[in-house]
Amino acid sequence: MRSLARWTALVLTAALFLLPFAVLVAKGWPALADVFTYKEIPFARSLLNSAVVAIAQTVGQVVLCSLAGYGLARIPYRHAAKVLYAVVATLMVPTAVTFVPSFVVVSSLGWLSDLRGLVVPGLFSAVNVFLFRQYFLDFPVPLEEAGRLDGLSRWGVYWRVVVPNSTAFLAAIAVIDFIGSWNQFLWPLVIAQDSSTWTVQVALSGLLTAQNPKTTLLFAAATVSILPIILVFTVLQRYLVRGISETGLGGQ
Amino acid sequence: MLSRRSFGVVAGLLGLAACGVNTGREGAGGGTVRHWYHAYGEDGVQDAVRRYAAAYPGARVEVQWNPGDYDSKVLTALQTSAVPDVFEAQVKVDWVRQKQVVPLDDLLGDTRDDFVRALLDSQTVDGKLYGVPQAIDTQVLYYRPSLLEKAGVTPPKAVDELIDAAKRLTAGGVRGLFAGNDGGVGVLTAPLLWSAGLDFLSDDGKAPGFDDPRAATVFGKLRELNETLLLGAPTDWSDPGAFVDGLAAMQWTGLWNLPKITAAHGDDVGVLPFPRLDADGAESVPVGAYSAMVNARSADVEAAKAYVKWLWVDKSDYQTEFATAFGAHLPARKSLAATALRDGPGKEVVGFVTSGGRIASPARWSARANTALSDAVSRIARQGADPAGELRAALDVARDEIARLDR
Amino acid sequence: MRAIVKRANSRNTLVFWLFVGPFAIGLLLFTYVPITWSAYLSMFDARNTVTPTEFVGLANYIDILTDRAFLDSIGTFTVFAAFIVPTTVVLSLALALLVNQVTWARAFFRSVYFLPFACSYVVASLVWKMSLFPGVDSGIANTVLGWFGADPEAWIGTVEPPLYWVVLVTARLWLQLGFYMLLFIAALQRIPTHLYEAAWIDGASTGWQSFRHITLPGLRGALVAVLTLNLINAYQAFDEFYNILGDARGYPPFARPPLVYLYYTSLGSGGQDLGRGSAGAVVLALVIALATLLSGRVFRRPT
Repeated sequence: MRSLARWTALVLTAALFLLPFAVLVAKGWPALADVFTYKEIPFARSLLNSAVVAIAQTVGQVVLCSLAGYGLARIPYRHAAKVLYAVVATLMVPTAVTFVPSFVVVSSLGWLSDLRGLVVPGLFSAVNVFLFRQYFLDFPVPLEEAGRLDGLSRWGVYWRVVVPNSTAFLAAIAVIDFIGSWNQFLWPLVIAQDSSTWTVQVALSGLLTAQNPKTTLLFAAATVSILPIILVFTVLQRYLVRGISETGLGGQ
Repeated sequence: MLSRRSFGVVAGLLGLAACGVNTGREGAGGGTVRHWYHAYGEDGVQDAVRRYAAAYPGARVEVQWNPGDYDSKVLTALQTSAVPDVFEAQVKVDWVRQKQVVPLDDLLGDTRDDFVRALLDSQTVDGKLYGVPQAIDTQVLYYRPSLLEKAGVTPPKAVDELIDAAKRLTAGGVRGLFAGNDGGVGVLTAPLLWSAGLDFLSDDGKAPGFDDPRAATVFGKLRELNETLLLGAPTDWSDPGAFVDGLAAMQWTGLWNLPKITAAHGDDVGVLPFPRLDADGAESVPVGAYSAMVNARSADVEAAKAYVKWLWVDKSDYQTEFATAFGAHLPARKSLAATALRDGPGKEVVGFVTSGGRIASPARWSARANTALSDAVSRIARQGADPAGELRAALDVARDEIARLDR
Repeated sequence: MRAIVKRANSRNTLVFWLFVGPFAIGLLLFTYVPITWSAYLSMFDARNTVTPTEFVGLANYIDILTDRAFLDSIGTFTVFAAFIVPTTVVLSLALALLVNQVTWARAFFRSVYFLPFACSYVVASLVWKMSLFPGVDSGIANTVLGWFGADPEAWIGTVEPPLYWVVLVTARLWLQLGFYMLLFIAALQRIPTHLYEAAWIDGASTGWQSFRHITLPGLRGALVAVLTLNLINAYQAFDEFYNILGDARGYPPFARPPLVYLYYTSLGSGGQDLGRGSAGAVVLALVIALATLLSGRVFRRPT
């Protein structure tokens, strides 16, 4: 009896959770082919921009933050603790809250309506550095020592020993970063003013808040926009689940 | 495992991002003029303006269509960006003070007298013209005489009659009036002020024009109207959908929708200006004219100006098409005829504009003051807040903004 | 000997900065510089400009702390947080327990509940605004109301009572429940099974008792993490609010999140005032820090 109740709850909830996707695809499907010739917004361009931004940001974040995390965890340096404090202290101020001053900095650099402005400021994630540091602290020391005995430098140990043995964790962080980057909205809304730099979220939002939205095309565009992310999600889900379970982070 | 080569790919991707893919920053300097429009609802406008842009011999012109909150987008861009080079808007004194837009007087030449004088005045600050008017937009109250007759009401000539009519017309799934999904706050604020003989600004523009107990009275009327309004329609006030589909018996919307509305309801269409509150107020229709302006930060201001002159001064055939082919607008120039408005409701509307047309977005009325007022009106009409208190707060902001302009 | 140590030290310093340097420079430029610049701008009259000249002291702070719209937005979102945080905790924990108890198709259900995490707030806003909760009779919510003989509602446009909250809250729950559920599942699986067995032997017969005495204490860490993350996120709300309630004319004066307020104040039709916007950002950061510290204080205390 209890098992029946539990299964009912499970199935009903699952149906509720899937309903929005079903609605989206059902409404969008008929016009799927039209979205690329849609004149209101440069949709294909915005997809390309989103892809460039998300890939560059993911790769950049993983490379920069894992290097920094490794340095902080493993390389003896007198002021390492101070540097770590300086990184962790920024976690107190959520990135979204500083979008106004960040906008000011980016516009002073001349990076408005420029993919650099979309990508670069988001590369330096203190959260990621912190997570990588925690992870590398637990990395087995004997493995690294074996590498040193083979005559590898610090860099060699990192690149030949640590990275190949950490692919699962790297992948987990990468998936979370990719999803976050693809779905981000406020920053591109502010920075991407020229339509040649709109990301797909900015393009969709414009249509959605328009006075007279063209519903079918909007749904079709939204359907196309979630396909890449659903693909990444499905293929790499086990890394994602593991990453979130292990680190407890990945929201924002 | 990542190989050395894949690291090369990684570095390449970063480099790609760092170097920017068609950064779009060059503006007119790169030989391209970037021209922004808000998203017109009438079919065909977008194709037309892209066609005009493609036909310009002087430079490559890229048209950007901006669905969504266009005004905020323009404000953000003007703050620091070189994009767009050319855009449509109605000038604000702020922009002139901050040197965000450039004067365009030298573009008009002999044609100056051909433009409707009041429009040029509305785009002029300190004696200089900052926008070339593209076409005149106005809004009116559409109703269906047959429905009014059935409900036993006459076309409303006063605000109270409008409230009464809307009430009686609300029946059987049809709402009395549609004035936007925000309950009329956006589009009725100005006509309500005028109906009470008030305005955004005093006549000399040196003080708010609604520092008067009658303002509280008239916005209280919007509160009374609130329960008969259609909300949550699939399209907003600027589209005739709700009225055409019979969701609402009356709709406040643009003259531009006249062709679609007569196509749907034939002769059964009546138009009215916004009624007056009482004998001290006036009937009115808001008059707006999006005007072509040039961003002072444009990389090539002269190229941008040359393009504006070509499109909005020289090419009168395009201007006629723009104003009349995709919905009904009044041309901004006297020499261009609007054939669609020679008889029927169209002719009536021309009469409303002549006798009761008011500038809906004065240059001295800043965006911040407008936000404060519409917030107040929204709280009064939609949440039942105390009108006097709300308006006092809006007046404070408005005074502050006006004082700033003259500092 | 000392020379060798010294050389090793200086080599380590170099290597350390090779690893950490690129990130550190970026952090300096894109986090520390903006924060500092923000503090600087907040004390100037920075309308329409990023390089202001007129020092106004604390005037922007006074302005913003007496601006009803800003206070309203902070107040509203404190209430929003007070509602959404416990609701999310209870529902995501319920989902975690539900998923954790099944043995068959567990991964499937976990994936289904977690799938919305991949969806953007913009796309969710679209579905909520235009198919689940539009004002027309054919909207899904109104169809359901119709089954029960109720009249259709203009969900997003209805201010009295504020039905738009139903739209906003359900969208946010759908988007984030799965993520928090995962955190709870991970924590549940770390609770040793032998504790439950021991309790069963000791006669803790009901599920509630073992939940109360074993599961909940075992989840303390996850609870604190979920509460804190969720609280910070509630104050940072922007995407779905902007896309559901905002329109081509701007944003209504209710349910206006602090970030929407800052957006319009600094960059949009609220005045293009980067000074006030920066002051608001400083105040908001302090509010978030305070709320986080308080919640940590309250929930970390041993029971």
